[in-house]
Amino acid sequence: MSALIGIDVGGTNTNGVLLKGSLVLKTVKAPTNHANLHAGTQEVLTQLLAALPEKERGPVGLHLSTTLATNAIVEGKGVPTAVLIIPGPGLRWEDLRVPFKLYPLAGAIDHRGRETGPLDQAEVRAAVRAAKAAGYQALAVVGKFSPRNFQHELAIEALIQAEFPEMAPVTLGHRLSGRLNFPRRITTAALNASIAGIQAEFVRMVEAVKDQYQLGKIYLLKADGGTLALAESVNRSIETILSGPAASLMGTMALAAELEDAVALDIGGTTSEISVFSGGEALTEREGAVIAGFPTLVPAFFSRSLGLGGDSQVTFDGTEVAIGPQRVGPPVALGGPQVTPTDAVVVLGGAALGDEQKASAALQAMGAPFGLEPRALAAKIVAAFAQKAAAAIRAVYAELNNRPVYTVSQVLAGTDLKPKRLIGMGGPAAYFIPKIGEELGLPYEVLPHHEAANAIGAAASRPTFAITLRADTALEKMVVPELDYTAEIGQPFTFNLATARQEAVRQTVNYAKKMGLVIDSSEIEITEEEVFNMVRHFYTVGKNFNLRAQVKPKIRRILPEQADA
Amino acid sequence: METKTKLGLVFFPAFDWAIAPDHPEREERLLYTRDQIREEGLLDLPEIAEFRPQIATRQEIERAQICVPSVEKVCTESHLIAAGGTITAGDLVVSGQTERAFALLRPPGHHALRIVHGSRGFCTINIEAVMVEYLRQRRNGRLRVAIVDTDAHHADGTQDIYYNDPDVLHISIHQDGRTLYPGTGAVNELGGPGAYGLTLNVPLPPGSGDAELLYAVEHLVLPVLRDFQPDLIINAAGQDNHFTDPITNMNVTAQGYARLTELLAPDLVVLEGGYSIEGALPYVNVGIILALAGLDYSGVREPELPPAAKKAGRVHDAVVKNVAFLQEVWAKRKETDLAAVFGRDDYFRRKRHLYYDTDDIHEVQVEEIKLCALCSGYRKIHSYAEDRHRKQAQIAAVLLPWHACGACQQQAAEAFEQLCAEPEWDDVYFQNPADLKQPLVSRARRGKR
Repeated sequence: MSALIGIDVGGTNTNGVLLKGSLVLKTVKAPTNHANLHAGTQEVLTQLLAALPEKERGPVGLHLSTTLATNAIVEGKGVPTAVLIIPGPGLRWEDLRVPFKLYPLAGAIDHRGRETGPLDQAEVRAAVRAAKAAGYQALAVVGKFSPRNFQHELAIEALIQAEFPEMAPVTLGHRLSGRLNFPRRITTAALNASIAGIQAEFVRMVEAVKDQYQLGKIYLLKADGGTLALAESVNRSIETILSGPAASLMGTMALAAELEDAVALDIGGTTSEISVFSGGEALTEREGAVIAGFPTLVPAFFSRSLGLGGDSQVTFDGTEVAIGPQRVGPPVALGGPQVTPTDAVVVLGGAALGDEQKASAALQAMGAPFGLEPRALAAKIVAAFAQKAAAAIRAVYAELNNRPVYTVSQVLAGTDLKPKRLIGMGGPAAYFIPKIGEELGLPYEVLPHHEAANAIGAAASRPTFAITLRADTALEKMVVPELDYTAEIGQPFTFNLATARQEAVRQTVNYAKKMGLVIDSSEIEITEEEVFNMVRHFYTVGKNFNLRAQVKPKIRRILPEQADA
Repeated sequence: METKTKLGLVFFPAFDWAIAPDHPEREERLLYTRDQIREEGLLDLPEIAEFRPQIATRQEIERAQICVPSVEKVCTESHLIAAGGTITAGDLVVSGQTERAFALLRPPGHHALRIVHGSRGFCTINIEAVMVEYLRQRRNGRLRVAIVDTDAHHADGTQDIYYNDPDVLHISIHQDGRTLYPGTGAVNELGGPGAYGLTLNVPLPPGSGDAELLYAVEHLVLPVLRDFQPDLIINAAGQDNHFTDPITNMNVTAQGYARLTELLAPDLVVLEGGYSIEGALPYVNVGIILALAGLDYSGVREPELPPAAKKAGRVHDAVVKNVAFLQEVWAKRKETDLAAVFGRDDYFRRKRHLYYDTDDIHEVQVEEIKLCALCSGYRKIHSYAEDRHRKQAQIAAVLLPWHACGACQQQAAEAFEQLCAEPEWDDVYFQNPADLKQPLVSRARRGKR
């Protein structure tokens, strides 16, 4: 097995790891250079490659998790972007809550993908001219129901390439997701278009040093913990958002002894993140990631943020302790202004951190008016912290178990997600997790802090992608929007679920090939499938199929004892 | 502060349940509606939240209806989920979790009568009645409810259940019964002796469109609601008045439905019929959802509007006439000489023949209502049913109303004991919706079942 490098470019540090199989050969850390992201990355890369034994030399694969896309969006660094939309009838386009300039166009597609209104080429030209004149530098094109029929989007793309090459390439909504959700598709496509230039430049720079470092295949980490080929990321940069949290979760999965049905709590300074595992796999968001408040269709791990952390504000009214959601830290023990949960831990001797005297004095001041000793108050604070975290975890499970379902059998079966273990991470985890586990009645485990956990997560990940197949035998048509694939169904009467599954698998394998991956059909799984008989005037006229297929998510297990080396 | 969610949506398309594979009430019915709701992104709107339906219990069904021989024998799980979904919706509104709720689910229920021998008009369990009885029980019977049924078919089931109930106003607007199943719902069906004038029917001639429907709402329904002052307004929102519906002959559009919803401002909406699953339901449901959430619905329209859709303004004469007649009935309902309508005996009697088209069952029902000055009077029902295999069922039931007076309670109990002693009944039932634990007592006769 050849060696592999994982690099996580974080807000403070850039961590790198050199893996061989499930062994960690070397970890490297360097401060992230915000002025020149590539400098820090290159430094880490140089050090890691230097650790590679002579006999292992040769092209080394690289998995990179960067905050490039996330930061570009959160900091609004993307170029001014407008969206040409084909809204058709329904919710008025003026009422769409998307933060982009919209140019509405005539034309309509219905829920089965039939054109119910034609596109007006002259209007498209006028809209592109108007967008250009208004100073927009990037364009996305999104039609309602475009995953069912993307001919309008393709026609607009062709027109722009031919007549406005300076505005090309444009992002087309249907290629980014086959899921139905017009507003989210607009946001996803617009964000993608706005950062495409930044991503393209990044890809050029990485490609430029590829030979210098004798790198093999290069992949970027995505929000769902899978990887995306570097070259392909030019078209789908939006999928690399939130790769930091994804790297962290992948690191957990790679390092944890046992996950099965675990709930993971990553306790930070300001917030704590709750993730859920079922059968050893991390749950994903039903629709897609939310970034900077924008709901998207980007596949992402499920996580819920809780305004509770080591630096949260603590107040005490004599009977009840309240914690968060505001952050006041750093803790008094580290010279901060107000009592935090971390101070309580310090007073109880749970962490040798900063000045214990200062922390104790602050708790004394807070508890004295009510006749409470610092240690007693500290215990109360820790208990309140644990109760709040436990309540949030219970609420997350209630939310998950109440997700709407649409069949009788699912209602009868009920959703019964239950946490069986608690996994803790983050600086203050060691002290709080046992208490939270007690509160929830769960066995717990605190993952040893591993500085390179995110880099390990990035390195341990595999390529993932999903496609949507829609087949309608009454219309004798089949589409895979992510691949621009449209085909006639030649034999509508023999096209059945088995045919649809085969087709979905075949399309996924082809897609992998297109991206330079060798994936066997046994590695593809169908994650969603629906078949409906279509009856019109009491006669069956056909069936319609909705399937989603994906590469089975896999993770490389990393041996923890080696990881500490 | 967090603002209250405007609309709770209990969406349950029952994708794995059908009456029969090619029946209008089949898996596919809400598929395109689901697609339209998702594509419009309605579930991401802060005004709207989606909820999973609960499963109705036997008691919850038995508070509203009498299933022969039992709830388990006539219901599938799907019926219990649809009924449970209306309870979920009702709870959302009554508990204040959401301002309004829409139970967008199937199968429907408004043709299901008080006594249930099987399925009729695609309905087995009257989901509105199950919800109303649940909410009344939650409020100890202190709840005034108005049900406005806007399905193209007369809501004969709901009418039957509330026909003598002074706390429930039932208004049905539908295609004229002389031209459509179930045939009833004429203007002169006005309710029983205990609730005279609280059953109102507005038949619309075939071909009626937005103008006719909205005329009836504006000129009859809204003034009547203002008078009645219900605690809750429920819209049984059938969508088969739509111009594309395959089994009716009406011309209403999605805009008409949305405007109707806006005017009515119902607290709760329950889907009833509507079988133009591609041409109507996706658009009508989006229109209703937007109107309920207080959002602009003016952009909702079908790919093709009907050439025959009438221009607003000119309303069919028959509708104007019917509305005028009912306005007068409503105005004078308290002065009506009930003795002239229901006779001077101790009991009002009626005998009906009822047909269950879905299950092909014929039923003859004889009903007696005690004419009581203190309450709406207890009822006695004899029911004889026969299915297509000539399997017969003969049952008797005694029904207590909410707020029954002492005399009616005593007489009803005596009547039940007497019926139990009579040999001809397969089952004898005693229904008391106010009984918390056991709203229905049934006694199967030995050797009969």
